[in-house]
Amino acid sequence: MQADIPTTALLASNITVEFAGLRALDGVTIVINPGEILGLIGPNGSGKTTLINAITGQVPLATGQVTVAGDVMPLSAPRTVALSGVGRTFQIVRLFDQLTVSENVETAALAKGIKRKDARKIATEILQEFGMLSRAETIAANLNYGDKRRVEIARALAATPKFLLLDEPAAGMNESESQMLCKQLLELPKQRNLGILIIDHDMPLISRLCDRVHVIASGKTIAAGLIENVRKDPAVIEAYLGSSARQDA
Amino acid sequence: MSFLMNRHTLTVASLCGLLLMLVFISYAVDVRVFTRIATTLCINVVMVVGLQSFMGNTGILSFAHIGFMGVGAYTSALLTIPAQMRGMALPDLYPFMEGLSASPILAIFLGGIVAAVIAAAVSYPLMRLSDAAAVITSFALLVVLHTVMLHWSEVTNGPRTLFGLPAITSLPLTAIVAAGAIAVALMFKESRLGILARATRDDETAARAMGINTPRVRWLAFILSALLAGIGGGLWGHFVGSFSPKAFYLKETFVILGMLVIGGPGTITGAVLGVFIVTAAFESLRTLEVVLNSAQIFSGQVVGVTEIVLAFSMIAVLALRPGGLVPTREIGDAIVGLIRKRKG
Ligand SMILES: Nc1ncnc2c1ncn2[C@@H]1O[C@H](COP(=O)(O)OP(=O)(O)O)[C@@H](O)[C@H]1O
Ligand SMILES: [Mg+2]
Repeated sequence: MQADIPTTALLASNITVEFAGLRALDGVTIVINPGEILGLIGPNGSGKTTLINAITGQVPLATGQVTVAGDVMPLSAPRTVALSGVGRTFQIVRLFDQLTVSENVETAALAKGIKRKDARKIATEILQEFGMLSRAETIAANLNYGDKRRVEIARALAATPKFLLLDEPAAGMNESESQMLCKQLLELPKQRNLGILIIDHDMPLISRLCDRVHVIASGKTIAAGLIENVRKDPAVIEAYLGSSARQDA
Repeated sequence: MSFLMNRHTLTVASLCGLLLMLVFISYAVDVRVFTRIATTLCINVVMVVGLQSFMGNTGILSFAHIGFMGVGAYTSALLTIPAQMRGMALPDLYPFMEGLSASPILAIFLGGIVAAVIAAAVSYPLMRLSDAAAVITSFALLVVLHTVMLHWSEVTNGPRTLFGLPAITSLPLTAIVAAGAIAVALMFKESRLGILARATRDDETAARAMGINTPRVRWLAFILSALLAGIGGGLWGHFVGSFSPKAFYLKETFVILGMLVIGGPGTITGAVLGVFIVTAAFESLRTLEVVLNSAQIFSGQVVGVTEIVLAFSMIAVLALRPGGLVPTREIGDAIVGLIRKRKG
């Protein structure tokens, strides 16, 4: 299987994470290709957020290794992973609350060593794209929830990542906000040759965004592949989609 | 927007205007006590703005700041005590240091450099720490610096008073240095490093996930902060002319922390305002103490009112307005905001 993984991909192989005896992830292998949006789904507590933390070096690995476009990442080195081109957002939004929206977005570029003036230009472009330019000088803490989520994504993009890991980006958004986000996300992969991993519970949203999904339950991969095949997988129906999916089918 | 309308220029101009006003009033009033108070105030602006550069941008409380003030004061003393007085002032001085000499202005600046170099050398490991651990280690650093000043008799004359610094510090000089400190602190805050430092302050986890080197940006902020403290120390040394290590310890730490916390550590405007407010309150209370004591309203002496009032003011501000009086927006931002509103 590993033979045909392109060297441009992000590969997290055989990832095991343990928290004081609790095995949150157990030998999970996942590949994100540039230019695709991969869905990561699974019940609450199945280890989705932990997988993002494992890829970005924010939790220690018991086993496994992360490779970004051919480069093996050192263990527990979030800075190296970030500077190798992996951006992320958090399940609970983490903005720099006292900075302005523009400064928030600039930081990602500045962290890569880009000069202040150029970082500002990058931030302006991205905010324009996200329709947030009018809020550029607003203190981040004063934004509404949906805008905070979008700024967090904009910030991650300002580092011009190769891969973007989104932890429930649409959670707490209303229908129209989530529609708009969907449209913006769909543009990104081709535009920027970006590989996106997205966690979300909203199956219609995932089906709209992703061709491929990866399903985990209790820290283990139970299915992965094209969304229409995974939908029919009995293990998935059992573990995750439950009776509602059975009715759909 | 034209250069003069730039919000940062406006901030520096407004705060320096405040200093200029102080200098003018002092010359108009022409009372020695007032000039002394104004000079001390300007030195405190250097100190508190210096503390703001670290504390405001990184969000880490530092107790060590006054220790670096001491480093600056002693360095400047070593370089400027006249040769004929050295034997008396520093009887145990190392022979190789006897020839050291510089003009007071240069010595004050070198005092800042030495403080910055020491800060750079000792603080990097501390910058990995956050929250309570960081605060406690900064306190430990103050204790170390103080202990060294107390016991390194060869260089500091130990716990005894060191005297003989030429008293060259004037009000205009301190006002100019204070203005410089304000400009430097604002430039740092708005620089690439300043923004990165403030990002780590607001969310360390997110900052790390973006690749920000948190210890490094904190370290650089700490070095700048020590540089300004060292310069403030030299200025003060050449103002009072003699001092001992106890001038750089807990009481002084409490006063400058109080000024910064009350004014607002997040902004340079807050730092400067804090110095003005606390100085004004201190001097009024001190006068009140004198009046009360001379009128003999109470049977005993009234002492310590100033410290107690400062303590309660700090508690009140922390409880009611945790970000201080000026938490986020500099005065220049506020002015630009007002102008924009007027234009509609
Ligand atoms: N830092 C942590 N310490 C201890 N347990 C954790 C930690 N993070 C996650 N867990 C546990 O790991 C499991 C997976 O959590 P998580 O990855 O957040 O699930 P999901 O994102 O799929 O809802 C849960 O049982 C959770 O309680
Ligand atoms: Mg989660």
